[in-house]
Amino acid sequence: MARIPLLLAAWAALASLFAADPAAAQDKPPLTVGAIYVGSVNDYGYNRAMKDGLEEMKKNIPGLKLIEAENVPETAESERIMEGMIQQGAKLIFATSFGHQQFAFNLAKAHPDVVFEHAGGWMQAPNFGNFFGATQTAWYAMGVAAGKMTKSNTLGFVVGVPIGYAIGNVNAFEMGARSVNPKAETRVVVTGGWADKAKEAAAANALIDQAADVVTMHVDSPATIIQIAESRGAYSIGFQSIEARALAPKGWITGLGFTWGPFMTATANAVIAGTFKPAMVRLGLGQGMMAVAPFGPAVPADVQALVTAAADKIGKGFTPFTGPVADNTGVVRIKDGETWYGDKMGNFDWYVEGVIGKAK
Amino acid sequence: MNAALIAGVIASSILSGTSLLYATLGELVGERAGIVNLGLEGIMLIGAATGFAVAALTGDPYVGLAAAALAGGAVNLIFAYLVVGCRANQLATGLCLMFFGLGLSALVGRPFVGALITGLPRMHLPGVGGAGARLLSYDMLVYLAAPAALFIWWLLFRTRWGLVVRAVGESPAVVYAAGRRPAFVQYQALALAGLLGGVGGAHLSLALTLTWAEGMTAGRGFIAIALVIFARWNPLWAIAGALLFGGAEALQLQLQAAGADVSPFVMNMIPYLLTFLVLILWGWNRQSAAPAALGRTHFGVE
Amino acid sequence: MPRSAATLCLESALGAASRAALVTLVALGAFAALLTAAGKDPLKAYVDTIAYVFGNPYGFSELLVRMIPLLLTAVAVALPSRIGLINVGGEGQLYMGAWLTTAGALSLSDQPAYVLLPVLTLLGFVGGGLWALIAGVLRALRLVNETISTLLLNYVAPMIVGFFIFGPWRSPESASYPQSPAFVDAARLPSFFHTRVNAGLFYAFVCLLLYWLLMTRTRWGLEMRAIGGNPEAARQLGVPVFRIILIVMFLAGGVAGLAGMVEVTAIQGRLVSELSPGYGFIGFLVAWLAGTSAVGIVVMAFLFAVISSVGDILQITQGLPFAVVNILMAVILFIVLARRSVGSAAR
Repeated sequence: MARIPLLLAAWAALASLFAADPAAAQDKPPLTVGAIYVGSVNDYGYNRAMKDGLEEMKKNIPGLKLIEAENVPETAESERIMEGMIQQGAKLIFATSFGHQQFAFNLAKAHPDVVFEHAGGWMQAPNFGNFFGATQTAWYAMGVAAGKMTKSNTLGFVVGVPIGYAIGNVNAFEMGARSVNPKAETRVVVTGGWADKAKEAAAANALIDQAADVVTMHVDSPATIIQIAESRGAYSIGFQSIEARALAPKGWITGLGFTWGPFMTATANAVIAGTFKPAMVRLGLGQGMMAVAPFGPAVPADVQALVTAAADKIGKGFTPFTGPVADNTGVVRIKDGETWYGDKMGNFDWYVEGVIGKAK
Repeated sequence: MNAALIAGVIASSILSGTSLLYATLGELVGERAGIVNLGLEGIMLIGAATGFAVAALTGDPYVGLAAAALAGGAVNLIFAYLVVGCRANQLATGLCLMFFGLGLSALVGRPFVGALITGLPRMHLPGVGGAGARLLSYDMLVYLAAPAALFIWWLLFRTRWGLVVRAVGESPAVVYAAGRRPAFVQYQALALAGLLGGVGGAHLSLALTLTWAEGMTAGRGFIAIALVIFARWNPLWAIAGALLFGGAEALQLQLQAAGADVSPFVMNMIPYLLTFLVLILWGWNRQSAAPAALGRTHFGVE
Repeated sequence: MPRSAATLCLESALGAASRAALVTLVALGAFAALLTAAGKDPLKAYVDTIAYVFGNPYGFSELLVRMIPLLLTAVAVALPSRIGLINVGGEGQLYMGAWLTTAGALSLSDQPAYVLLPVLTLLGFVGGGLWALIAGVLRALRLVNETISTLLLNYVAPMIVGFFIFGPWRSPESASYPQSPAFVDAARLPSFFHTRVNAGLFYAFVCLLLYWLLMTRTRWGLEMRAIGGNPEAARQLGVPVFRIILIVMFLAGGVAGLAGMVEVTAIQGRLVSELSPGYGFIGFLVAWLAGTSAVGIVVMAFLFAVISSVGDILQITQGLPFAVVNILMAVILFIVLARRSVGSAAR
């Protein structure tokens, strides 16, 4: 009978002993930044690009403290993790994967003094901004590279989740290939998830079985697909991080990568200065958020020149999505005189002529 | 339907099914000895992570493979100690093992995420050239998979050891009365099961994807458990089952590459629905093929 | 001096808690050794966790948030276990409960909350219940063992959910990400005190209470315990075993389905492809550890929620993947499993 108050007292004492946070007696950093990644930063892909950007930001702002968490799933768990970072003093949170949006937004409402930057979404609030690269037009340059390098005229594209933006990437890719090689076709395989390695391997193999000799992808990490391509003697074009070229010493053509550093540095400085304004930032090639990766050893100089020229054109505002553009069943989707850009990139539910696959 | 598609599907099924087959064989041996291991998923993950880590450290995928097998066997012996030695509830212990494997593999694999390894090399069959060469070049584990099934069949049905194992699975009391120690046999069976499960996991990381990611087995361990039932605890039928499941996953991706329109979700459901169908049909035939003492623990005086 | 029932309850709860604490301490020691070997600081992690969970209102509230699905899935396992059935299908039942809830939320979005929420609760229950009923029917007809059928159904359920959120229920506003449209406010289960602790806690305790009442205070409870002990004898005595198996599986699945309903209406606010980090399996372990006693379920769910918080801390402050905390959970269970069976009868 007397055990009860004793046990309760013991629990209470234990709790009170640790209730106070030990004060940090070091110098206060100018800013504490929290970042959550959906996967591992060693993925040669999406997360690596985010990490590289954050590291650049950290280098540019001396004393900045960066708290990171990898493998944060796109579920309610992420809210917990971000809240934990806020409690550790973070005043700027980068939620780097699409599925983190709702949870970051919930926290933005609860913490008006913390700034949130989310990658790839659309929500806005006074302390919640959105950023991403405008990838679709940039893929045109990749298509140019692929169209020139392919000998079988079959290109392979592995897509994780068939969202509008990914389909737009495929379309621009095919259009770029067609612009230098009218016989080029792109076969698409959808794995159903952004990071299912076993399916990515099977998809890459399937595409190569169907005679694709240039393989590219829109998944979180290009590693598996590039390695499979390399092991089977196919060329590869990377995406997400330009570091992926390390995976294919022989077959690497080029790739697209995100360069988040300048944007992240600018955001952090704005938060420090108190001048942060939320915005929907979508920047493309030539505007600081995206870059074309160095070329691999197999790419001849004339192809390099073509690709660089295409990239320049895109940087100056060129887009392939100017009408008339027909889909792969012959129906005209972008009318003469019309141009698709910006938000419409999320509306793709059709493939252009030359792409073998069904978008819906 | 072109020849490339059919060939691709077959090749993909074989590749996909290999890790399943090893894991299924492992579970089968354990279940023949009367032990259900729901933690096979954990064993496979440990095999995948250990194999990848050691291959990255030593640069030799074969050393990695050996390490994966040993790790799987060692961890399964922990499981064996609990269910055989301590007579713990097999299902709870198995699930516990699954979580353990999830965590341990994440810890072991973490420093190696993104590491580049030389995977198990693909070997061409001598004398086959051209298109055949492209399709008939697999790694060693694939070539050894069906022979492994045959070996396990021979082990279980043509050797004395196998006879004792099966007897333990049917009636441990009889074995004990005959002067053998069922517990010792079960330890041996589970060690072998762990070895095979580790190899199954290693195939995923060392040959199929050449990467490590947390939880990459994605439920294959549980599929293997279903396959054991599908195969009616016979290693030869396990080959067919592994091909079927491997095939379903591969088929929808290959169909996509060939331009056909299939819903990946519907395709992925098919192997499970087929297993259900098979189970119901087997169940209709009242005579159960399962080892009689499966899931129960033995209580002789030891 | 005779003790009141309340005192006994409290004592047994605290006694169970102390036993759990002892086992946990041993496991924490083993885990600390592992963490040290991995180059991390276990003591700091533990201290941080206690500060987070007990000294921090948010941390404590998240503890409760974690407990809600665990309480429900544990009951979903405990109930059938009383008649000797093993339900490892909590995951699938949770998904199907969420699925049917979404169907209701999307089609009845113009209803007011006091109509919509009870309907959604019912749908969540029915969704999970029907899913478990499949396994129940197969078992009652003696065609397929329920362990394997519930296990297999765990895989089919997320595929059904995936099919719908990629297809008919794909949210047009987030065409860039497969998920259902957000639920209207009337379809959201309310939360309290600016935390994520939600009415699901109420559901969980109601289910626990009903479970306890059913097993200890009703005729059906006695019948069920008879079946659990000896199905053949029960059948001979006229107990309608077939019907009871169906009803029990339906109820169990329904409770797990409620966990799914809570997840989509309170936490997520929509149907997404990743709803559960293994709640169904952890619920199985909770129920098993608790020995199917209602009080034990609360204690064990609390314990597992605290362990999960260790995982959070490890991830935020020490850079370890959350999955590592599964080792701690497993080690605790290993110890219990090794101790439990000494001198105890077969299960």
